[in-house]
Amino acid sequence: MLRLERRATQPAHLVLSVPLAAITGALLLGALFLAANGFDPLLIYAEMARASFATRYGIEDSLVSATPLVYTGLAAAIAFRFRLYNVGAEGQLVVGGICSAGAALLLGQALPGGLALALALLAGLAGGVAWVLVPALARARLGTSEIITTLLLNYVAVLLARYLIFGSRSLWRDPTATNFPQGRALPPASQLPELGGTQIHAGLVLGIVCAVLVFALLRWTRAGFDARVFGDSPAAASYAGISVTMVVLLLLVVSGAVAGLAGASEVLGRAHRLDPTGLAVGFGYTGIIVAALARYHPLGVVPVAVFVGALSNAGTAVQSLPGGGVPAAISTVLQGAILIFVLASEIHVAYRVRWRRLERTAS
Amino acid sequence: MNDGVILITLAAAVAAGTPLVLAGLGELLAERAGVLNLGVEGMMLIGAVSAFLVAHRTSSVTAGLLAGMVAAALLASVHAFVSVTLRANQIVSGLALVILGSGVATFVGRPIEGQPLGVHLGQRDVPWLADLPVIGRVLFRQDVVVYASWVLVLIAIGYLRYTKAGLWARAVGESPATADVMGVRVAAIQYVHTIIGGLLAGASGAYLIVARVPNWSQASTTSGLGWIAVALVVFSSWRPGRLLLGAYLFGAALRANFALQAAGMHGVPAEALAMLPYLLTITVMITLSAAGGRRGRHAPAALGTAYIRSER
Repeated sequence: MLRLERRATQPAHLVLSVPLAAITGALLLGALFLAANGFDPLLIYAEMARASFATRYGIEDSLVSATPLVYTGLAAAIAFRFRLYNVGAEGQLVVGGICSAGAALLLGQALPGGLALALALLAGLAGGVAWVLVPALARARLGTSEIITTLLLNYVAVLLARYLIFGSRSLWRDPTATNFPQGRALPPASQLPELGGTQIHAGLVLGIVCAVLVFALLRWTRAGFDARVFGDSPAAASYAGISVTMVVLLLLVVSGAVAGLAGASEVLGRAHRLDPTGLAVGFGYTGIIVAALARYHPLGVVPVAVFVGALSNAGTAVQSLPGGGVPAAISTVLQGAILIFVLASEIHVAYRVRWRRLERTAS
Repeated sequence: MNDGVILITLAAAVAAGTPLVLAGLGELLAERAGVLNLGVEGMMLIGAVSAFLVAHRTSSVTAGLLAGMVAAALLASVHAFVSVTLRANQIVSGLALVILGSGVATFVGRPIEGQPLGVHLGQRDVPWLADLPVIGRVLFRQDVVVYASWVLVLIAIGYLRYTKAGLWARAVGESPATADVMGVRVAAIQYVHTIIGGLLAGASGAYLIVARVPNWSQASTTSGLGWIAVALVVFSSWRPGRLLLGAYLFGAALRANFALQAAGMHGVPAEALAMLPYLLTITVMITLSAAGGRRGRHAPAALGTAYIRSER
């Protein structure tokens, strides 16, 4: 029998020890899973670590993979921290990517470089907002659960992107690619610059700026204060005269905007065209894991995104190991396990847990 | 459109709605006991891939269905442990199940990606009833899982309304503290119902593989059906009978593309037709809440909240 005693104060060291314990637990479980499937876990973990951190290209790849996760982690953190479950970052990212690619294709030649890039980024942000707006309004005004509405829109967004590239002769589609349809290349002037001869692009810097801005918004503004009261107790916020409708709308819209920027950053910084199969690869869902590991802290999201980005990148690397590769899905398995372990260890932050036999007392 | 096409479309709607009946019924039972399990999509994926692997090796559809159920039930018991015993956030735990389930399914399913399955669950006409006009064609020329799903819905109705265990489960879902005082073992009830939910979600994923689309693909085997099943539970006001009707309604939306093509409408892009079930679900969810808070009150009062005895 499990007995729980609520802690009077939450020990500070748990902020670091809980995620570390969760990662360790997930890696151990992953090792069992690998061994059960006939792989040597030590060999594979060593290769994963080498592929992500030991070489210059490995570190570059890890940071490139981390870039969209900074945004999607942030998008999840803004919402989940206040018990608003925007699980539609994937779709908001895709629509953000569609909008910013569209803006870049329309304006990239006509306007000076800096202006075209700024407008393309704004278009990505607006796309994310547009995609979250209906679920956000329905939640704020009618109380419709945002979980299912945001999630199902992910499928709609991916179908929309596929239609633009594979299903029609749209602005986004490369007119010269006849054998296999692909996105039209964006004008160089509207692309995010790469940093110092690496593949890492300015999207990473912009993502970190977003994290600082969100942190400042929640910490130092009136809206952020309202949101924190709402997060602790929606009823208390209501009694204090805070408009719960506005808080819900604001948080979900900011979350969608950041997710839309993730799509803009991927399209303008990495792919340089609208590529539905490369864009919708689960960054939105992985962002939830990033946010949970960062304990929904906007600044904590940045280092965690680098770690999880390295993990995703390592999955691709072990796929091509000599002597029979390991399916790249090993990184998804580990990510899912990490999230389970974070949740399982969360109880130790709020409670002192004692396992003991049930005592028969009259209560 | 002639009558034949309408009948074929209706029969197809029943078949396409059956995975939703199974997964939705499982989620309904878990939710009536107060456990919100958003991991249906992940459990269905695990169920589907396990069913393929086992049915492929044993050439037995039954073995495939059973394997899918057991594998998904294992995943459901993870959710039960994390959310009932460890009192973690049920929403995030359900999402974790989706991620873990799709990761494991993709991993173990890589060798069979795109391969066809040799065995198939065939149509089994019900004697005499299959010859009835209209109804026979739509309802009684299906496979055994379709008939089994009706029996399960009837059992669930009787269970929740007339049996002691069913009433206990409802008490736990409405007020675990009260049920606890009455001597009901809250955690045990929640474990059992979460695991039954897993068994049914696994059956749903397995059914997709052995009867509907006999090849495994992580991206397109379930494609969001698990989430539509979760939405259906809300749509049904947590009542099994309504769930069955709702599932067939959504089944019709899933097969609308074929009906429209048969009707000679070729201008609509395939992607737009594929969006239909998702957009329909979203519209229904928003309309239900716009119609007033009345329906929201049908939700079990303690749904999604952890019960801690010392804080009751």
